[in-house]
Amino acid sequence: MVPINAVFALGILLFFLGLFGVLFRKNLIVMLMSLELLLNGANVLLAGLGSHLRSPRGAIFALFVILMAVAEAAVGFALVLSYFRQKRTYDVDELNELKG
Amino acid sequence: MTTFVFYLFAALAVGSAVMVITRKNAMHSVLYLAFTVLSVAGVFFTLQAEYLGAIQILVYGGGIVVLYIFVIIIVNLEEVVPERRKLFPKLFIFAMPALLALQVVNVLFMNRPTAPPGTERSLEFEALAEMLFTTYALPFEVASVLLLAVLVGAVLIARRRLSRGSD
Repeated sequence: MVPINAVFALGILLFFLGLFGVLFRKNLIVMLMSLELLLNGANVLLAGLGSHLRSPRGAIFALFVILMAVAEAAVGFALVLSYFRQKRTYDVDELNELKG
Repeated sequence: MTTFVFYLFAALAVGSAVMVITRKNAMHSVLYLAFTVLSVAGVFFTLQAEYLGAIQILVYGGGIVVLYIFVIIIVNLEEVVPERRKLFPKLFIFAMPALLALQVVNVLFMNRPTAPPGTERSLEFEALAEMLFTTYALPFEVASVLLLAVLVGAVLIARRRLSRGSD
């Protein structure tokens, strides 16, 4: 049986690595990848708690999180492609049309 | 033993996650992302969430990573690494499928695997399926509607405008 503290450590570490990626990278595609890391960290926590508490709810919630991740990736890529067609760049520093 | 395998996959996942957010080349990042995702699938297997691990490999490893690679190829065609391989990668490319094929042959012909006693029916799977289709039936249906909306929305957003001409 895996100690639950190690599962917490892994999940929180993955979550914060993804958060750092989203905050500090300037490349839109790498930011989307970091979002996937973040959701994976949450999934590790859910699966670990599900097996620790002997309940299938952890796996079910993680399944829904995976569904959300797929939806986010598909729409995010559609937006990146559409933006790239117009601006020929995917640097977030160039994304300033809405600035007042 | 399970704990050791858990720590192995956890170390792999964290190490490659660090590589994902530190590599300059987006293509390298996506390969490390695939590594992370498969390591997390291994973590799921050690946590006795086998269904989740299988879904992780199928959806992430098979779907999302390939989507990322396609988008990177579309978006920055000029920055993709050129086809230039040294001796060790070449050896790796040929040795890895050969080893896997040997393994498959070994499993199929040499020693027929027999299920250990008492594991014919997995109660975990039954409990999961029953709860998913009774207690969480409404979120399940909502998720399917969400996926349909994403399908239509992604096509609508990403399609080329016809009036834009050549692009």
